[in-house]
Amino acid sequence: MIRQILIICLMLIPFFSLFLRIPTVETESVTAMANTVGLTVILSGVNVWLSMTFAWWLLWTESRWRNALEWLVFLPLFIPMLATLFGLYLILAESGLIGTYVGVMISLLVVTLPYSIRLASNGMAVIGRPLLEQARLLPFKRRILFVLFPLFSRTMRTIALFTTVILLSQFALIQLIGAGLIPTVTTELYQSYAGNNRNLALSNTWMLILIPVLIYFLLSVMSRWTVRILKGRLQ
Amino acid sequence: MSLNVQALRKQYRSRQVLDGIDFDVRLHDIHAIVGVSGSGKSTLLRIIAGLETCDAGDVVFNDRSLLDFPAHERRVTMLSQTALLFPHLTVGENVTLATRTRSRKQAEHWLNVVRLSDRYDAEVHELSGGEQQRVSLARALAAEPTLLLLDEPFTNLDPKLKLDLQHFIRELVKDLGLTALLVTHDREEAMLMADRVTLLEAGKVTMTGTAEELYEHAPGFGDFLMIDGDLLSSSRVTVTETVGEPVRLLKKIYRFGQCFGEYQFEGGRTVILPASESFEVGMTYQVKRKEEKHA
Amino acid sequence: MLRSNVALTIIVSLLPLASLIFLGMEALGTDWGALFTDETWRDSLFITLYVVGISTFLSLVIGTWLARVVVQKRWRFTSAILRIPMFVPHIAAAYLFWLLFSGGGIGWVEANERNYMTVILTYIWKETPFVFLMMLGTYEQLNRGYVEMAKTLQLSRFDQFKHAEFPFLIKPLLDSTWILIAFVSFAYEIPALLGVTYPKLLGVLAYERLSTGLYLEATEPYAVALIWTCLVGMGVLVSYILTSSIRRRIERGVRR
Repeated sequence: MIRQILIICLMLIPFFSLFLRIPTVETESVTAMANTVGLTVILSGVNVWLSMTFAWWLLWTESRWRNALEWLVFLPLFIPMLATLFGLYLILAESGLIGTYVGVMISLLVVTLPYSIRLASNGMAVIGRPLLEQARLLPFKRRILFVLFPLFSRTMRTIALFTTVILLSQFALIQLIGAGLIPTVTTELYQSYAGNNRNLALSNTWMLILIPVLIYFLLSVMSRWTVRILKGRLQ
Repeated sequence: MSLNVQALRKQYRSRQVLDGIDFDVRLHDIHAIVGVSGSGKSTLLRIIAGLETCDAGDVVFNDRSLLDFPAHERRVTMLSQTALLFPHLTVGENVTLATRTRSRKQAEHWLNVVRLSDRYDAEVHELSGGEQQRVSLARALAAEPTLLLLDEPFTNLDPKLKLDLQHFIRELVKDLGLTALLVTHDREEAMLMADRVTLLEAGKVTMTGTAEELYEHAPGFGDFLMIDGDLLSSSRVTVTETVGEPVRLLKKIYRFGQCFGEYQFEGGRTVILPASESFEVGMTYQVKRKEEKHA
Repeated sequence: MLRSNVALTIIVSLLPLASLIFLGMEALGTDWGALFTDETWRDSLFITLYVVGISTFLSLVIGTWLARVVVQKRWRFTSAILRIPMFVPHIAAAYLFWLLFSGGGIGWVEANERNYMTVILTYIWKETPFVFLMMLGTYEQLNRGYVEMAKTLQLSRFDQFKHAEFPFLIKPLLDSTWILIAFVSFAYEIPALLGVTYPKLLGVLAYERLSTGLYLEATEPYAVALIWTCLVGMGVLVSYILTSSIRRRIERGVRR
């Protein structure tokens, strides 16, 4: 019991200093907030969509390229993120995408997708081929609605959450690819910290912590509600 | 007395898995614990092995309480349903690991005993199920146990292999003078392999005795009797039901060289019967079922 | 639709490799002699190796130990708490630690100091849950029969771990190690917030030299990024090749 309490305390101690300070609701830029939410929603959606379909394909394909492609999609995990970012900066500069939303979205997708595919693959491995094989016998719509969605709703929630957290962690990427033209809560925090604006830094930190929490609860409620409705249709 | 299980109790949440278990295992005996799933037999074995704790009672082996020692200091080894050979080691390395001095020579000796001396350098996945189980036995023996626990080790094997391995293990345990505790749900297996049998039902011991005693008194043991005029001489059994038409005896197999043997009849029926009875190959017998008595 | 999604995923996955080619082309003009003799880069390399080494090693050890204990003791609540830091963005974690160690908080270690203690602590706090989750899956799927068999074979506690647990941890440990090294060794946000002006970690130095007007023409950051990626890549390759036979053997022989 003592060991457990100690571990829990060590994990929660960093929040202690945050709770000691009362946050003020200070947002310098509504654009930063809108950008953050917009990017989060779009990026999470694209990640869930691409990673789930790719993991599904990986599970069933008999292609002789399977192993090579599996390596290819996981390889970016082993490439330092900043190195990828420098290279992407050069590519996107060639294509004139620096300072654009598209450029930022592409870069964010590049750094988040390998993690998402990994989570999706693990989720499918846990459920296992035999059960999913049964699902394959069902017609497409019924398979998605009544089997795959309820089975993978937790995995999809985790993917969305991971994507959000990685996105919210990016200062260098958004600053470099966005050329300073696309402010987010993260870039604001960094600048407020660098500019010694304690109150703004604190309220931005709160926001960075609360956004994943809100997304988590929102997605949990949504997935439970959807699964309940789907189950109701089977009654 | 060799192994003495005293008033052993174990409860999982509200379920009493072991409810005051008492029995003795004699030195150099193979003692079988027979029970259906959920009767508590595996829990009992795991407590003796030190893999689980009990709520009350004691397990005494040669006058010392095993419960005072952790599993890896009890000198009690186990052969389980799956061979569980460490996959990162070769066959020989698996056995060497279990020897006290990490000696290759000893490992080779034990592999030789289980007739797998040529597979020392083989990888685990290259062996068949029966071979893996034999390596597992060599490994368990290499640890020089004072007590060998057999936790349904034949469950995953096909019938032919199962019979071979049962025979092999019985002979080996007897040759080495070991004391073994076999847990099984298979009554025939218990009768063929064990010197003494304990019946376990819902966490309680319902009967302990020799295979012959159980044959005569315990429900479900010796379901079929062969009667051809003469009732089995040692039997105090009441016959209640005739089963099918009379059948011809094809083959007698005294596989375990003890009081029970396996008899093969026309039509594929196999019956376990006392080896002392004088049945003759080629003669026709009537199969009857004995009356169920509750011990 | 499935095919077009797969094709799109492959294209996105090819971008990091393409970016390495662009890095290589850009790094061509680098004065390699000057780069290798530059004290600023050299000091950065040493401090980076020190921070990466300690934080990765401790995250791996603590994360694995926690996964082991949580599964063995069935600590559900602790398991849930242990995941929390993963959902705190790195930059926010850095700020939390800055608050904790700068004047008003615990105050026994300065927030920005030469030994990079706060950076290491922040990384451990952030990465331990990642390792914990990677290992948790492995421990939950681990056949407990192996450990029990090791016990009944009278193996010592160390040998029980060595033979009945560690072989099954090799693959996830290897994955976690290189993901952490790649991530921690060339990052910007945490060391930029909690580090010092000299020596800077490689990622911070490279990013600043790239983004500050003063060095805008310099190809050195690209060269450093490329060299570092190649070093990590070689480490990945060598470690996977060296362990390939044992991993294959385990995969074939394991009983679930």
